[in-house]
Amino acid sequence: MKLLVCIKQVPDMESRFKPDASGIWYNEADLAFRMNEYDEYAVEQAVQLREKLGEGSELTVLSIGPDRVVEAIKKALAMGCDNAVHVQDTAASAKDPWQIASIIAGYAKDKSFDVIFTGMQSQDRGSAQVGVTVAELLGVACTTTIVGFAYDNGVITAKRELEGGIKGAVTLNTPALVTCQLGLNVPRYPTLPNIMKAKKKEITAIPAADLTTSESLAATTSFHPPAKKGGGIVLEGDVGELVDKVIAILKDKTAVLR
Amino acid sequence: MKTLLIGEYREGKMLDSTYELLGFAQQFGGESTLLLVGSETQLPAYAGTLYLADAASCGEYNPDLHKKLILETVQKEDPDYIVFVHSSYGWDLAPRVAATLKAAQVSEIIAIADGGFEVACCNAKMRRTVKPLTAKAVLTIQAGAFPVLQPGGAPAVVKISAEGNGRLAFVGYEPTEKKDIDLAKAEVIVSAGRGVGKKDNIPVIQALATALGGELGASRPVVDAEWVSHDHQVGTTGQTVSPKLYVACGISGAIQHLAGMKKSDFILAINKDKDAPIGEIADVLVVADVMQFVPALMAKVAR
Amino acid sequence: MFLDLTEEQKLIQGTARDFAKAELEPVAAALDQSDDRAPLMANLKKLAELGFMGLNVKEQYGGTEAGVVAFSLAITEIARACASTAVTLSVNNMVCEVIQAVGNEEQKVKYIPKICSGEYAAGGFGLTEPGAGSDPSGMGTQAVKDGDYFVINGSKVFITSAPYAGVFVVWAVTDKDAPKGKGISCFLIEGGTPGLIIGKEEKKMGQHASATNELIFDNCRVPASAMMGKLNDGFRIAVAELTGGRIGIGSLALGVGLAAMDYATKYSTERVQFGQKISNFQALQWMIADGYTELEASRLLLMSAAWRKENGKSFAKEASMAKLFATESANRACYSAMQMLGGYGYTQDYPIERFTRDARITAIYEGTSEIQRLIISREILRNFS
Repeated sequence: MKLLVCIKQVPDMESRFKPDASGIWYNEADLAFRMNEYDEYAVEQAVQLREKLGEGSELTVLSIGPDRVVEAIKKALAMGCDNAVHVQDTAASAKDPWQIASIIAGYAKDKSFDVIFTGMQSQDRGSAQVGVTVAELLGVACTTTIVGFAYDNGVITAKRELEGGIKGAVTLNTPALVTCQLGLNVPRYPTLPNIMKAKKKEITAIPAADLTTSESLAATTSFHPPAKKGGGIVLEGDVGELVDKVIAILKDKTAVLR
Repeated sequence: MKTLLIGEYREGKMLDSTYELLGFAQQFGGESTLLLVGSETQLPAYAGTLYLADAASCGEYNPDLHKKLILETVQKEDPDYIVFVHSSYGWDLAPRVAATLKAAQVSEIIAIADGGFEVACCNAKMRRTVKPLTAKAVLTIQAGAFPVLQPGGAPAVVKISAEGNGRLAFVGYEPTEKKDIDLAKAEVIVSAGRGVGKKDNIPVIQALATALGGELGASRPVVDAEWVSHDHQVGTTGQTVSPKLYVACGISGAIQHLAGMKKSDFILAINKDKDAPIGEIADVLVVADVMQFVPALMAKVAR
Repeated sequence: MFLDLTEEQKLIQGTARDFAKAELEPVAAALDQSDDRAPLMANLKKLAELGFMGLNVKEQYGGTEAGVVAFSLAITEIARACASTAVTLSVNNMVCEVIQAVGNEEQKVKYIPKICSGEYAAGGFGLTEPGAGSDPSGMGTQAVKDGDYFVINGSKVFITSAPYAGVFVVWAVTDKDAPKGKGISCFLIEGGTPGLIIGKEEKKMGQHASATNELIFDNCRVPASAMMGKLNDGFRIAVAELTGGRIGIGSLALGVGLAAMDYATKYSTERVQFGQKISNFQALQWMIADGYTELEASRLLLMSAAWRKENGKSFAKEASMAKLFATESANRACYSAMQMLGGYGYTQDYPIERFTRDARITAIYEGTSEIQRLIISREILRNFS
């Protein structure tokens, strides 16, 4: 069986973001990058399936971006992927989800992957479109936001996370694509021997231009911090004084303290 | 300008989020039509046209069939925008429709902006303005971002149907874990977030909740770390609450959490980070260390 | 000149950082206060499974072959969360390295994989004696040949991990008439060997979770095959291995210093006095600037020493410089951090007092600052005479 997992490298979300010179995305300087959290669940699930299938199965990890994304690729290799594809693109952040999905589908279309894993969304852009769009472009079955996954003999049983703590169980036949959500699994730490062994695994570099066939369908026109809500009060200062201020406000504005 | 709104239906009930689509449509302007895969017994209180398919035959979650129904309706109505709620139903279905139409999709819209739509990004810390470049566009709106609009009246129903099985089979719902406490009924909720630091600090937050006559709530990371059980979780995957007073202790304010508590009457947030997204919806943001401020507040409240 | 880490080094640093944050940080304060070492043992096992016990050891003996730079990075990241765990790691790595460097094939195959895999929670390094601290060549422990055995008598002090070490590298005098430092041999002695007694545990100022005990040899009989390296050639081995250990301890100190400065700096941006954040005051800004400048210099010295060792270049002077500067910088950083927190810093509600206690020993063990200066000046003066 052939498996594919698609990952993105994103900034640490604890970072402070400021617009870049173009004003439509963040300035990358001073940001520390790591694997998108949802993609870690995707890699872990893909590796678990690869381990279950054993010999004769193959797990490829794919990432699009500049050279820095190789670190995320190597992490996925150290976690247990067999080989990798690095779609080299210094302008990946300027592409819309449709173009990113088109690149992935362009790579995957003649590879007959049986199962494709992606994160449910990226932490930075958060559009939650790429996975589903890849499935549509490849014409394979797809379900999203999974928190449970089992595979048996060509059939995937997945649990989707719905609102209000409810889950929905679905089955789908391979070939299929699933997008992974927090709670699906606990991603392993890449062990040091596996990090070293990953050095020997093959990373195929493909220039994005070789796979990019579509124009973007949507344009980002501005990247900016949220406007502050008018009514909110921000209190700073000595804790003792803060407590007195807060109690006065609560007495005034709520029926809770009298 | 014309919008086609895609309502939601689950476990035999039309979801209230359908009315948020109407709220969006009113703000957006132009003509709008509603499509719902639901039931004749559960019609929305709205006097426009309703394209209605039967969930009994088309399924509540059957993306292939639902996509087909939407595409057929798009052909008939020729809308400029097809609008979903950004939910497990909407984010799953919208890209399928967009990809087939080769239309732009703008996800999780929080506001209508000049020349486009405002969306959240970078864990809700930042915003983007996104503009579709295609004639038709698919939109998903953030749950809770637009007002609920329940205009009243009865819709003019146009029945639609689709045949086939689709490529995935829906097996069933798994009920939520049994709740010991009902946060929805609480008048005061004091919630703990990652900022409380460690499990050992939870009793401090619980104590404040008790002192204020309320219940303990929690954000998702705190529940996932097993500091607090799931029945205390507030947010899209937990409970949606609207108490008289909501105290957010060390909660940065992920969209999923905000969606579950933003309708609270009064929101007090305590956070070290002045720029935390919770500050956007809080009535009062106290910039302080939770574990210094809460015990000090507690001492005065308990006095 | 290329100052960036390789992707593998970054990933090892990442695994160490993520593990430390998720598994060590939450238990570090409790480990410091409690006698229960179960969480430490559990974490040592997990760290062994991740490959942290033999970073600079060959794969064939269960090591990672990741190199000395990766070793330094890993120790720093672990120490940012828990110095006790980090010192255990540093000593375990050193024990593996000394066996790899001077053991025979049988000894390597028998012991290194057990430390690397976590089968042994730790390895012990038995050099220091009550009367031989900074001057180990003056040791009194003796090993007397008795047929195919050696009979060892004497005692060692300040032995890290002694109660749970599976094997000890022990130095003893085998020729008491030889010139100083020339009649010492090195032995590999398993924990539990009759006559090897684990003595009292020291009540230390810091690094509480890591046990530090006396070792007593009371007619401890070990087979002649337990000898490592050549007869009477042990002291040279000890000196060589201590040099590598210094990179470990310097890296540990850097981790503690960074933890203290990071905590205090963050605190300074939140604590308000005189109506403003205390980070607005120049007095604190200077502490922040000086603290981080010294820690960055420490990091560069450590990286240079580690890189030299990894690439087969001389590194004794560089390792001593790095150890000296990193450990003293870490102590100054902890001092400043406590000043920044004021009275709160002195309480156990905040981690700074623990960092301060944990940092103090780093300027003492693995060669005091004074010994490092001695080595550095000797190496320099050699080129002038």
